[in-house]
Amino acid sequence: MDETVAEYIRRTVLKIPRDEIKPMLQKWGFLSEVQLETVNFHQIKENISQDVVQLCEENSAGIKQAAVLDIIYNNIYPNKRIWSVYQMNKTGEETEFFDLTDFKKKFKRRLRSALKNVTINFREYEDNAIWIRIAWGTPYTKPNQYKTSYVVYHSQTPYVFISASVLRSNLPLLCQALVIASNYHDIHEMELRSHSLNSLKDIVFKRYSQNFKTYYPRPLPERNVAPETVDLRIIQENKNEKERIQRLNWQVFGDGPQPKIEFAQYKLETMFKSDPKMDVLDKKEPFRCLVKFSSPHLLESLKSLAPAGMADAPLSPLLTCIPQKARNYFKIREKKGLLPGSFVSP
Amino acid sequence: GVFAHLELLEVRAYEAAVKQEEMEQQEEKLARLKARVQELRLQRDELRAKVEQQQKGQLGKEGAVLNPAQPSARAVLEWKMKSLKAMLQIFYLTGISGKLTKRGVCFCISTAYEGTYLDSYHLDLLTKPEVQIYRHSVPIFIPLRQIAKKYLQTDIRRFLSVLSDHLNAYVGRRYQADQLQEHFSGQIEGTLQRNSLCNLLVFNYNVSSESKTFPFKVRLLYGDPCCSLPTEVVISCTPDAPASLAETAAAHSDLFRRVALHKAFRSFSSAGECVD
Repeated sequence: MDETVAEYIRRTVLKIPRDEIKPMLQKWGFLSEVQLETVNFHQIKENISQDVVQLCEENSAGIKQAAVLDIIYNNIYPNKRIWSVYQMNKTGEETEFFDLTDFKKKFKRRLRSALKNVTINFREYEDNAIWIRIAWGTPYTKPNQYKTSYVVYHSQTPYVFISASVLRSNLPLLCQALVIASNYHDIHEMELRSHSLNSLKDIVFKRYSQNFKTYYPRPLPERNVAPETVDLRIIQENKNEKERIQRLNWQVFGDGPQPKIEFAQYKLETMFKSDPKMDVLDKKEPFRCLVKFSSPHLLESLKSLAPAGMADAPLSPLLTCIPQKARNYFKIREKKGLLPGSFVSP
Repeated sequence: GVFAHLELLEVRAYEAAVKQEEMEQQEEKLARLKARVQELRLQRDELRAKVEQQQKGQLGKEGAVLNPAQPSARAVLEWKMKSLKAMLQIFYLTGISGKLTKRGVCFCISTAYEGTYLDSYHLDLLTKPEVQIYRHSVPIFIPLRQIAKKYLQTDIRRFLSVLSDHLNAYVGRRYQADQLQEHFSGQIEGTLQRNSLCNLLVFNYNVSSESKTFPFKVRLLYGDPCCSLPTEVVISCTPDAPASLAETAAAHSDLFRRVALHKAFRSFSSAGECVD
């Protein structure tokens, strides 16, 4: 077995949390149950990885199998990477009959015709997600297995999720191969990025809970829970206001969990508005400013702002439009016209 | 002379035709009203029977005997709510239901396949300045934009009907593929290749003949997005397969075209054909 492959497998196993190593190896399916039984998964990870490499040696693992293990790891822990969303366009209106074999063939052919030194591996999952792992080389060097890009694509959709590696120079080539393989015409990057791949999918596939008004009797959220022993001497002064906030919040955010994004960035290019008499700035130039909101879970924290009394309800639509507009990077310029205001550029 | 006579006859014929049409319309109207009367009579009888039953058998949910001559306001309200809910349930069961919103309408398309209720999808439409889709929960791979471009402005009923057809066909295809994977995974060799729309399925399954098993490779193409049966079926076997299997392949091909996928597989097992 190639030394580089052995080292790569060893390092991949070291990344996996100890309790998850055996299940992941079982998912991998390259080592038999009998072989796995011979490994002591309670020893330190350094030793576990050595044992695993030894077994892989017995089975003559190649780079292909090592790559599959890497895909499995990234599929289970996708949040360790930052994912960008790309959108593809096409003009035709015929129904697409997505043929997986065809897709893989076209993708590999396009990529390899431009760059011979690449390692390309595919893995399909039950939710129709196709994972592609690409290890990049150069025209003169073999692919570097540690410089990898990942692509997640759901057939017959215009969205591609890409976690590019450090080498952004290969991105145009990757995009071109995707467009050709999936029968689209062009591709562009959306202003939507996050660590949480599933949340990005929720946003563009509209899988998050949008509260639609329907008559269909669905269980109402338990808002009016049986009151605890109510002391009639205690009066909720702001009950109406609280209910108003709750209602507005529900209208905007719905019932279910919010997609998980970690930041929203607003680039302001607006004029500073002050009392004309004060005349703070000499030059009438747009005030350039970058506002970035960061949070482990931005949308949930926005949802709790008004009920916590930290902001007025309703919140600014610039904050609440994130899932619907499918973006978390905004440029705000002056609205040209009679009415002053801000204009969000596409 | 002759022309004048002909004109006269023409006028008479026209008048007769108009009278005939009027009569037919009257008769139609009468028939409809009669049917409606029947309907209402039936409803009335049902309600009468219900009231009688309630008067006879019930001691009142609150533990008190209700005065049969004057149902309490609460009971009337409960009955109204119940029948309204039932009405809404009926609309929901038809597959397309809607609710007026402040700025338009919100539609709910519910899907089903052969008696099994499947997913519901929503569309929030604005009606001013023109009909447009504000937001929706339709899967991204359904050609919503194309259907909207064709029908949304001109014929909203057709829009909903076409969209409902697409969605129902999609869930039907998905259901069949899921059922196949769930209940007949033993008969399938390797993985079932599918896609998001479930309009192309490729897989291998084993057929035995003369105590040997041969793999069949089948490719199902669902050309009509509004149909849950394949339009194209290609079954191929290995070159060393006996000639008799060609007939089996043709029979299977025909079956896949006519019958739901999982039902086809069920019939293989029950018909005594040895599909391993």
